[in-house]
Amino acid sequence: MQPQTIWQKMLAVDRRLLYVLLLVNIVMFLLVPVRMPASISPPVQKFYDTIEALQPGDLVMISSNWSASTLAENQPQLEAVIKHLMRKKARFSIISIEAQSRDISYRLAERVTKAEGYEYGRDWVHFGFVPNLTVAIKGMVTDLPNTIKQDVRGTRVSQIEMLKGVNSLRQYKLVIDVTPSGTVPIWISYSPKEVNIIYCPTSVMAAEAYTYLDSGQIKGMVTGAKGAQEYEQLLGIVGLASRFTNAISFSHVLIITFILLGNVAMFMNRLAERREA
Amino acid sequence: MTWQLNPQDQWLWIWAIVLGAFVLVLGLIPLLQVLPPRGRRALVVGITFLAGLFFAAEFFMPVNEEQKNMLTPAIQPAQNLLQLIGALALGLGTYGLVRLHLKNVVQKRTQWGYSVVLLVSFVTMAFFSIWNTLAEKELAPKTPLLENSFKLLFDFTLVQLDAAMFSLIAFYIFSAAYRAFRIRSIEASILMFTAMVVMIGVVPLGAYISYDLMGFSAEPTPEGASFVQMLVHNLGLPKVANWILTSLNAPAQRAIEFGVGIGGLAMAIRLWLSLERGIT
Repeated sequence: MQPQTIWQKMLAVDRRLLYVLLLVNIVMFLLVPVRMPASISPPVQKFYDTIEALQPGDLVMISSNWSASTLAENQPQLEAVIKHLMRKKARFSIISIEAQSRDISYRLAERVTKAEGYEYGRDWVHFGFVPNLTVAIKGMVTDLPNTIKQDVRGTRVSQIEMLKGVNSLRQYKLVIDVTPSGTVPIWISYSPKEVNIIYCPTSVMAAEAYTYLDSGQIKGMVTGAKGAQEYEQLLGIVGLASRFTNAISFSHVLIITFILLGNVAMFMNRLAERREA
Repeated sequence: MTWQLNPQDQWLWIWAIVLGAFVLVLGLIPLLQVLPPRGRRALVVGITFLAGLFFAAEFFMPVNEEQKNMLTPAIQPAQNLLQLIGALALGLGTYGLVRLHLKNVVQKRTQWGYSVVLLVSFVTMAFFSIWNTLAEKELAPKTPLLENSFKLLFDFTLVQLDAAMFSLIAFYIFSAAYRAFRIRSIEASILMFTAMVVMIGVVPLGAYISYDLMGFSAEPTPEGASFVQMLVHNLGLPKVANWILTSLNAPAQRAIEFGVGIGGLAMAIRLWLSLERGIT
């Protein structure tokens, strides 16, 4: 049996070695305290400007539909969004069509708002879990209190201080969809035209949304953890995404390097086979 | 016309509706079993058609100044009905899951130990979740035992396990990209080059390479710039990546979405009219 060349060995590399390399790369760059400033992409700038245009007391609906599986991308987005809304003194309500997100977003919002002195019921509220977004949006447009009925604490919507006199989604200024799912077309289709929509998808879902961004149906977009880092930079805060970003950057570099190495190995191997033939 | 309950009679109505639904469901199952196949099919097709017709009619019927028509008030009860159907499906799923794993444990089938883990986890999580929900609504006491147990089960176990499971995908993607992303044709070369530009262009490292190391301009193109000036101003990787996403990706996505939309519409009509095979 002939000994394997370096190129053949590279083509047959043990996948466990690749896993270890990626793990070391991620851990190492999570620990490196150097922060690389991001270049602010136009969708994130538009997202920021849309929230900046809000007036104190404006109502905002946050649709939080993510579970722990996409926590690395959606949690920094939601945290930064809530911090920005509090800075603008906007009032917000959160709604979830994902059962696990009901608890995750409620606990996250409680933690973030407590630190800033935002009061539940007066400044923000959580509507809990609704199983069907289409029907919920249609219901909220025509009769919000009877669609939602009660918040996560069991208080009737009509008795919540923040929602006194609020009967319809039309009275909201903005909808923010934080999600790894394709829910933004539902918001676009069924929410009132006068309510602006901005979007926080995971990275894999963002490609589909550029068409809505282009048409102006969504006013801005924060894509995954890297979008959240740009957004945090605009807000002047160092959040979760700013801490992840080095690991993401260098993981991309590692993947690209190994794709190139794989192709070089394939070409060199083919060359050697031709020579032998 | 109103479809909402009078608050004074609420509890009476609730009990009447629950009892009525119970009798209806219990009666419907034997009725479906007794009916001949043609009759069963006619019943399912009829209900499917009427349910679809309601939502279509509500959407297309003209509305008044308040954006409502005669069917709009019925949307809310329809939502309640959908929630009930969802809850029924959840109940059936739970029943099936528990029944299957109880059988595994009782009959000591292969790997029955996993079934014990599932049943214990299921009961424990359900117990503390229900208790926590009741405590949030101030219908049950919020004790330190509940707070600590729920935090341990939800925040420190379920959330972490779920996140860890999903994170494993990164390792598979890395391994798959290394093995499968090979330049075997012109199309594959274009795809690989584009992917690399976007992957580097969207992360801060792309900006650092373009603007700090290579000295490209990060500023927007000045008004009235010539073609060459425009080109020079947009050579940075982040700008190229953004151009790929907005000018190449968006039109392609739009075309795909048109196709998917038309396909979805055709499928919806087939489902509504029960033309799909295996509907009954």
